[in-house]
Amino acid sequence: MAKFLLRRVVQLVAVLLAVTFLAFSALNFLGDPLVNVVGPLAAIPDCDLVEAGLREDTFSTAGNIGDCEVVSRARAQYNLDKSVPERYVRWVGDLLTGDLGSSFQTGLPVSEIVREKMPKSLLLMVMAEIVALAIAIPVGVLAAYRAGRRLDRVTSVGSFGLLSVPNFALGVILLQVFALRNRLLPASFDDSTLWTRLHSLLLPSIVLGLGIAASYQRLLRTDLLTTLQEDFVNMARAKGMPDRHVMVRHALRPSLFSLITLFGLNTGALIGGSLVVERIFSIPGIGSEIVTAVIRDDFPVVLGAVVVIATGFVVINFLVDLLYTWLDPRVRVS
Amino acid sequence: MSNAQLSVRDLEVRFPTSRGVVEAVNGVSFDLERGQMLGIVGESGSGKSVTAKTLMNLLPRTAEISGDIHFDGEDVRAIASGHRKHFWGVKMTMVFQDPMTSLNPVKRCGEQISETLRYHLGMSREAALKRSIDLLEQVGIPEPARRVKQYPHELSGGLRQRVVIAMALACEPELLIADEPTTAVDVTVQKRLLDLLDELRRDRGMSMILITHDLGVARGRCDEVAVMYAGRLVERAETEVLFSDARHPYTTALLRTIPRIDQPSHTRLVPIEGRPPELVNPPDQCSFAPRCRHAQADCLEGVPTLTNLDGNREFACRYPANTEAGRTSFFANEAAGQTVTGLTIAQPSEVN
Amino acid sequence: MIASVPEPNAAIDGAVEKKLGWAFWLSVAWIGGLALAAVAAPWLPIKDPDVLGAAPRAGLFSDNLLGTDALGRDVLARTVWGARISLGVGSVGIILGLTVGGTLGIISGYFRGVVDQLISFVFFSLLSFPSLVLALLITATLSRSFWTVAMTLGILGIAPIGRLARATTIQFAEREFVQASRVLGAKNGRIIVRELLPNVLIPMGALTLLGMGISIVAEGSLAFLGLSVEGDAISWGKSIVDGSQVRDLTENAHVALVPIVAMFLTVLALNFAGDRLREYTDVKETAF
Ligand SMILES: Nc1ncnc2c1ncn2[C@@H]1O[C@H](COP(=O)(O)OP(=O)(O)OP(=O)(O)O)[C@@H](O)[C@H]1O
Ligand SMILES: [Mg+2]
Repeated sequence: MAKFLLRRVVQLVAVLLAVTFLAFSALNFLGDPLVNVVGPLAAIPDCDLVEAGLREDTFSTAGNIGDCEVVSRARAQYNLDKSVPERYVRWVGDLLTGDLGSSFQTGLPVSEIVREKMPKSLLLMVMAEIVALAIAIPVGVLAAYRAGRRLDRVTSVGSFGLLSVPNFALGVILLQVFALRNRLLPASFDDSTLWTRLHSLLLPSIVLGLGIAASYQRLLRTDLLTTLQEDFVNMARAKGMPDRHVMVRHALRPSLFSLITLFGLNTGALIGGSLVVERIFSIPGIGSEIVTAVIRDDFPVVLGAVVVIATGFVVINFLVDLLYTWLDPRVRVS
Repeated sequence: MSNAQLSVRDLEVRFPTSRGVVEAVNGVSFDLERGQMLGIVGESGSGKSVTAKTLMNLLPRTAEISGDIHFDGEDVRAIASGHRKHFWGVKMTMVFQDPMTSLNPVKRCGEQISETLRYHLGMSREAALKRSIDLLEQVGIPEPARRVKQYPHELSGGLRQRVVIAMALACEPELLIADEPTTAVDVTVQKRLLDLLDELRRDRGMSMILITHDLGVARGRCDEVAVMYAGRLVERAETEVLFSDARHPYTTALLRTIPRIDQPSHTRLVPIEGRPPELVNPPDQCSFAPRCRHAQADCLEGVPTLTNLDGNREFACRYPANTEAGRTSFFANEAAGQTVTGLTIAQPSEVN
Repeated sequence: MIASVPEPNAAIDGAVEKKLGWAFWLSVAWIGGLALAAVAAPWLPIKDPDVLGAAPRAGLFSDNLLGTDALGRDVLARTVWGARISLGVGSVGIILGLTVGGTLGIISGYFRGVVDQLISFVFFSLLSFPSLVLALLITATLSRSFWTVAMTLGILGIAPIGRLARATTIQFAEREFVQASRVLGAKNGRIIVRELLPNVLIPMGALTLLGMGISIVAEGSLAFLGLSVEGDAISWGKSIVDGSQVRDLTENAHVALVPIVAMFLTVLALNFAGDRLREYTDVKETAF
């Protein structure tokens, strides 16, 4: 067990390094961060020559010696004068101390931005998972219990259809129906109290949760149908236990394990979905923050937020794996 | 109708599938007296499990069932459709072939036994757990107090099957159906488990149906043995009668597959030639005819009916073994070298 | 043995269909028809999608069959023209994903060893990003032309496609017919192209359809983040965003609804056709 754990941790670290490196180089190679800091000044030719004091006569092309100073200060401040690998190593070093750099636009530390925005997004995602499970488990159990009958057919078609509805489309439709046409639920986020927070996140979490519910329901139904063929289900019925007990206490529990794996995989879709849903329902979460930062070319914020999200995603999948091993008594011992 | 505890009449079970309708059980009838033990024997696929599952209301709902099943004079199929509580598990219960799969892998053994007690007898959690420990002790499990807290995979196959037996017996059922309860455990454990079942049965005056494909297992334990072939009952007789004086050629063939103590151990057992028939659209003939050494032309015309000779035996064959007609037909086939269905009779063997 | 007990689902869901069925062909017809309309958009008898002429926010069945948007542009025309970009980035993306992912996957699964470990690690790392976040990362610093968006969607497909290709390759590389050509001294390249590729392509057919659906949805998501194709280019995602202003949604929801329905039907058709095709070509079922 200890060896298994150690191997998994090493793997985790390797993947985290790869993920941060990918994110870092994507932003550094695909674009020039200097442009983001100093704007058009970055395009001044020969500034490096001016810096080196080599060419006094380039003022005419370099515009203004002051501009060159701005550029070189920016370079130094954001380590832009170093090579990309070196910057990466420095950046990881800072990262380990909790320093994600600071915004080009506002100068605020990225870690602070993340700390402020993240809880709202997390709350949204947790609520979405709750909605998804609250729908998927009962519907999945009922569908498997009535396999092949009308209820099962209807829910199967329903969840297949639901999987083809993009979550932004669902968001727009539910927003129109429940918030704009009939003012049943708020159309945008309200941070004033815990209650308003939960209340205004209800519709967005339903939007996010429905799609996930459909995938959970399909998996659960198939899994339950397999479990229902097992001898121990026959045994429970032969003992005269009522159907409800057999479905919930005997069949459902072993089928929940595969749901846990899907939970890990779905988290990626959930994060992506919450980016979009935050935009539609004006939720000032981490997703909205990234999008704004991308539009404003605020490179440290994008990088910091992406890395936090990707790390969270990797760690969740890691934990899901461990949880799976720990929860299933069959795997636990062997 | 007799005053039998369980009486089954003209039971038919069909499964519509993509390949056609599987006629899994075809006109099976039998009675079981209180406190008796009936063995049901037959090759794989002969419909033993389907028969048992029909009695227990465990078939998938795609199954088409017809016929009458009465337990203590009550219509079992009506009980099933009426969703009556406290019938299965209390009056009648079943244990399955594989102890590895018949316990829920994610529930502790104790929980699996005590849930039955709590549901049927309304016991409290503590009382049910104490009773579970008692039950485990009765089926000969050492350290029962520790076992109730263990998960099934922590036990050996033999112990697991004991847990299953304890579970089945928890509510003192009147009839136990054991579907090949020992095929999945090794031979030494097999005998001990069967003896345990027999002992518990006698103590409680419980009736039992023992399903097996091994006639040897039925010998000495069952009061009566029914032989199934391709979904039909082909012979039924008191155990001693069946062993000493079988009539159906399939039964005699099965008897030849049992290892005999009086033969040296290297003597080869005689397997039954040919393969069991398809259950989809079976032709209107004796289903054993293609593999039967006695087969004559009229065996291919219509299914032979069960004939009841003297109350304690019945069989479905026109040229039964150990009779004059059977001997004549066999010698005729042997002389021709093959039967009407093309089965070759290679080396002259002992007369049946 | 007598016929064995059939698959549980087969017993419950009735006969297992071995035909693709009419609904599959209906889906294919919808996708094909739409692609045709998209290509032929300039010659179709529809209004100009960019002309601001008509009354803004006209309802259904007015002068404009499916109404007009906030700027008075014809919704039907914009939806047909939107198909060009939505289907366009979707198919270019999936082709890119298939080529790169498929090639890497086959190489990885055929040669195994260090190459395999390296490629698998890249796949694993790519999959460690939530896909929309990865898309965002790539589009963030680039100008958002048709080709960058298509490329982004393609990159999203590389790892999942590559993994499937790798798994299928490994499965087939051990089969007798591949081993036989190895023994006969065939060159690796020849084995891959002649023996493996055809077999690996079979499951890819279904994946292409499913992946295209995912790409089309991803374009829509990017549009909501303001990261779809820039400028005047019309896509379904952008049309939905345009129609999702509060005023539009309350007063004339059809501006958003028409492209939503178009996208839903297309994704549904792709998913359905892909699912049927996967069942149809499933190696387990076809029994070798
Ligand atoms: N749910 C089902 N759907 C279709 N056919 C079935 C189903 N259950 C059983 N059968 C068929 O019914 C026939 C009898 O099966 P059964 O399980 O009763 O055999 P058995 O005598 O118990 O054999 P074994 O010794 O292998 O347990 C088999 O041909 C089997 O394929
Ligand atoms: Mg059986």
